[in-house]
Amino acid sequence: MSETLLSVRNLSVVFAGEDGPRTLIDDLSFDLGKGEILGLVGESGSGKSLTCRSLVRLMPSPNLTIASGSVMLDGRDLTKAPDSDIRAVRGRDIGMIFQNPTSHLDPLMRIGDQIAEGIRIHRGVDGKAARAAALDILAQVGFPHPARQYNGYPHEFSGGMRQRAMIGVALSCDPRILIADEPTTALDVTIQAQILRLLMDLRESRGLSVILITHDLGIVAQTCDRIAVLRQGRLLEIGDKRDVLGRPQHPYTRNLIASHPSMPERQAAFVPAREPAIPKARPLVEIDDLHVRFPVTGRSLFSGGPREFSAVKGVSLQVMPGETVGIVGESGSGKSTLARALLGLTPISEGHVAFDGADIVTERAKALRKLRREAAMVFQDPYNALNPRLTIGAMLAEVLAVQESVPKERIPARIGELLDLVGLEREFAGRKPLSMSGGQCQRAGIARALAVNPKLIVADECVAALDVTIQAQIVDLFRDLKQRLNLTLLFIAHDLAIVRNLCERVVVMYHGEIVEEGPTDKVFAAPREAYTQALIGAIPDIDPDRPLLSPRGGDDFVEETSGLVTGEA
Amino acid sequence: MHRYKFVLYRPLQFLPVLFGISLITFILVRLIPGDPARVLLGTRSTPSAIAAIRAQYGLDQPIWLQYFYFLQNLAQGEMGKSILYKIDVLRLIATRIEPTLALVLSAVLLSLVIAVPLASLAARSNGGPADHIVRFVSTFGIGFPPFWLALMLIIFFSVRLDLFPVSGYGETVADKLYHLILPALTIALSLSTVLIRSLRTAMIAELKGDLATAARARGMPESIVFWRHVMPNSLVPTINLLAVNIGWLIGGTVVVESVFALPGMGQLLVRAIFSRDYMVVQGVAMVFACATVLVNFIADIVTVAIDPRVKQ
Repeated sequence: MSETLLSVRNLSVVFAGEDGPRTLIDDLSFDLGKGEILGLVGESGSGKSLTCRSLVRLMPSPNLTIASGSVMLDGRDLTKAPDSDIRAVRGRDIGMIFQNPTSHLDPLMRIGDQIAEGIRIHRGVDGKAARAAALDILAQVGFPHPARQYNGYPHEFSGGMRQRAMIGVALSCDPRILIADEPTTALDVTIQAQILRLLMDLRESRGLSVILITHDLGIVAQTCDRIAVLRQGRLLEIGDKRDVLGRPQHPYTRNLIASHPSMPERQAAFVPAREPAIPKARPLVEIDDLHVRFPVTGRSLFSGGPREFSAVKGVSLQVMPGETVGIVGESGSGKSTLARALLGLTPISEGHVAFDGADIVTERAKALRKLRREAAMVFQDPYNALNPRLTIGAMLAEVLAVQESVPKERIPARIGELLDLVGLEREFAGRKPLSMSGGQCQRAGIARALAVNPKLIVADECVAALDVTIQAQIVDLFRDLKQRLNLTLLFIAHDLAIVRNLCERVVVMYHGEIVEEGPTDKVFAAPREAYTQALIGAIPDIDPDRPLLSPRGGDDFVEETSGLVTGEA
Repeated sequence: MHRYKFVLYRPLQFLPVLFGISLITFILVRLIPGDPARVLLGTRSTPSAIAAIRAQYGLDQPIWLQYFYFLQNLAQGEMGKSILYKIDVLRLIATRIEPTLALVLSAVLLSLVIAVPLASLAARSNGGPADHIVRFVSTFGIGFPPFWLALMLIIFFSVRLDLFPVSGYGETVADKLYHLILPALTIALSLSTVLIRSLRTAMIAELKGDLATAARARGMPESIVFWRHVMPNSLVPTINLLAVNIGWLIGGTVVVESVFALPGMGQLLVRAIFSRDYMVVQGVAMVFACATVLVNFIADIVTVAIDPRVKQ
C-alpha cells in the first residue's frame, strides 16, 4: 500500500435506542492509501454506509454517536474536530457520492449551478470563475456538451448522466478522498461499467483515493486495490483483493464469494436445456408480432396529433411448457411491458398473445380467466407487493378462497404446504411483511404466486432488491420449484449473471425489440449481436484477471441514452 | 420555453368553465325563495305594480329565456342592472372591488410573512421547544372561527388599546391600509395556521432527506442547505395549498367584511342576497368564481416557474 492518507482506528458507533444502546460499528480499524481504491463489502445492515458517514460525522440520526476511536487525516482527529472544521473537510477533503443520484441532486437547480455552488462556497471565488470551473468539471466527468448541459435540470438526464453529475458535484472542491456509496447499484450494467471506468480514470488523473461501498464482489474485483469485508459492524478481513478473493480467511467471505453469480459452481448448477421430449407440444405462451404503444402525455391541442411511445415493437416469442426463459435488457428495453402485456395487464396495440391456446386479443374473457387461474407474477419489491396489513396466512387464504381451488376446510393445510414449498417456517402464516426480512418477504410473494397452482410464473426483477446471498437462495428456490412442480418460468432481469444460472433459454431485448435469443450457454459463449456482447462484457467478473471489457463495443448503444434527454420521451 | 405554452392555451379552457359557472350561479340564485319585486315594493304593494316591475326586469319571461338574455348580456360585457341600486351591475362591482382585492392581497402577504418564518423556526428545531410552541399555537388557530377572531381583535386592539379603527374604510391610501390591518390580520391568522402545518411537514422531510444530506456532505453550511435547497423544495407543495385556500378565502371575505363594515364585494353580496337582487348576486358570484379560476391559473404558472419538472 502506498503512503497512508486516512487512518481509522478502533472506531465504534453506538445507537441510543429505547431499549438501551446498540453498537452498530464495532472497533473498526483500516487505512486508506493515497491513490488507492478500497472496496468496502458487506450485505445490507453490515454498517458499510454508516462507517463512511461516520468518517465525516454525517450521522443519519441524532441517536447515533461515535463512542470511541479516531479518524486521522493530516494528523488531525476528525472525530474530535469542531463542527466548523468538519464542514471544511466535507467536500473539500472528502467528497461523497450516493446510490441514488435522483434524490441526492436538487431537482429545482441546474446541474451546473449545483457544481458551481460548492466551488463558490469552498473556494470563495465569484460566480463567473465558479461557472468556468464547473464547465471544466462537467467535461471531466464525461458530459459531451458542457456549455449546453450546464443549464440542464437533473430530471432531463438519464440515470448514468445523473450519477456523472453527482460525481461532478463531489469533485467540485477537488477532494483527495471520494466516498462512493453503492454508486452503480441503480444503473444498468453497461452504464455501471462506464461509471466504474470514470472512477478509475479520475483516480489516475487526480490521484484520488476512493472508498467504494458495494455489495457486488464483481465490482470490487474489477476496480479496487484492496477489499475490506464487513459484517454486523465488524471488520472480518481486509487485504489485497487477490488475497481476499483467492484465499478468503473467513467462512462468511467464502460464502459471499460462493454466492456470486459469476462463480463457476453456481453456473454449473443449472439444469441443461432439455431436448423437448414431445416436439409437437403446443407452446404455453405464444407471442406473435406484439406491439405495445403508450400515448405520450402532454397536450396536443396545438402540437399536432397524439404522440405515441413504442415500448414493445414487433416481438414474437414462444415458450414451451416446463421451459425457463430469461428476458434480459436494460431499463426501458420493454421487458416488463412485455410481461405485463402477456398477463393481460397492459392493453395490446397490435399483434397477438396466446396463453395455452387462448388468445388475449380475440378471446379476452376466456384468456383472462385462464391466466388468472394458471399464471402468476412475482414482483421486484417484496415489501410493496405484499399488503402490510395482512398476515402472510391471511394473504394466502385470500388467494385460495378466490380461486376456489381447494375446499374451504383444506385452506389452512394448504397454507402450510405452500410455506413449506418456499422454505418458510409455518409460523410465518401469522406474521406481517414489516416484521420480515426482504428475502422472507420475497419467499412469501412466491408462495402467493404458487397458491394459484400456476403453470406459468412471471418473475419481474424479483431478486434485484435483495442481497447477493439472499439472491442466490431465491434463485435456488426457483430452480427447485421448477423441477418439483414442472413450472414454466419467465424470468425478467437486468442481471445477466443470474439469468445465466437459472435459465435454459435467454432473450435479449433492446429498445422494445428482441435482438438475440437462443440457448443460454450459446448466447453467453458466443453472442452474435454487438449489443449482447456489450452487455455481457460489462458484467463485472469476480476474477480480477478477467477485466471489464472496455465498453467501446457498446458505445453505439449507450450514446442514445446518455445524452441530454430532451424531455420528449 | 415550451413549458410555458400552457399560458397561451389554458385560457381557452376557461370558456367552458365560465359557461358552467354562469349556469350554476343563475340556477342557484333562482332557487332562493322570495320575489325581488315584492322586496323592492314592500309589503303593501299592489299585484299590478309587482307585475309591472317583473315585466320591467324580464322576470316574467320563461327561465330558459332569462338565462339566454343573461348570456347575451354577458357576451356584451353586461350583467344587467341592479334592482336595488338601479345601476349597472358591473359598474356597481367596480366601485366595490378595491377593498376586497386589497383585503385578500394583504391577507395573503401577511399570512406568508407569518407562516414562512414560523414554519422554518419549527422545522429547524424539530422536536425542540420552538417547534412545540409553533405547533401548539397553530393548532389553536385552526380551532378559532374567523368571526370570533375578528371580534377578539377588535376588542383587544381597537377598544382596549385604541390602536386601530373598529370598522370602515379610509379615503387616502395610507388611511385605507390602516383600516385594513385588523381585517387582513384576521384572515391571515386563520390562513397561516394551514400554511405553517404544510410547510413545516415538508421542511422536516426535506431537512432529513437525501438532498440535504448530499449538500451537507459537500460541506455546505446549514444556512445554504436550508435556504437554497430545503426551502424551494418545500414551497412547491405549499403553493397549491395556498391557491386552494385563496379560492376559499375570497368567499370568506363576506364574513370579515361584514364584521369590519368594509364596503367590499362581500358586503355587497350579503345585501344583494337579502334583497333578492338577482343580477347583483349573479354578478358577484361570477366575479368570485372567475377570481378563483384566475388564482389557480397563477399558481400553476408559479409552480412551473419554480419546478422545472412540472409540465402543465
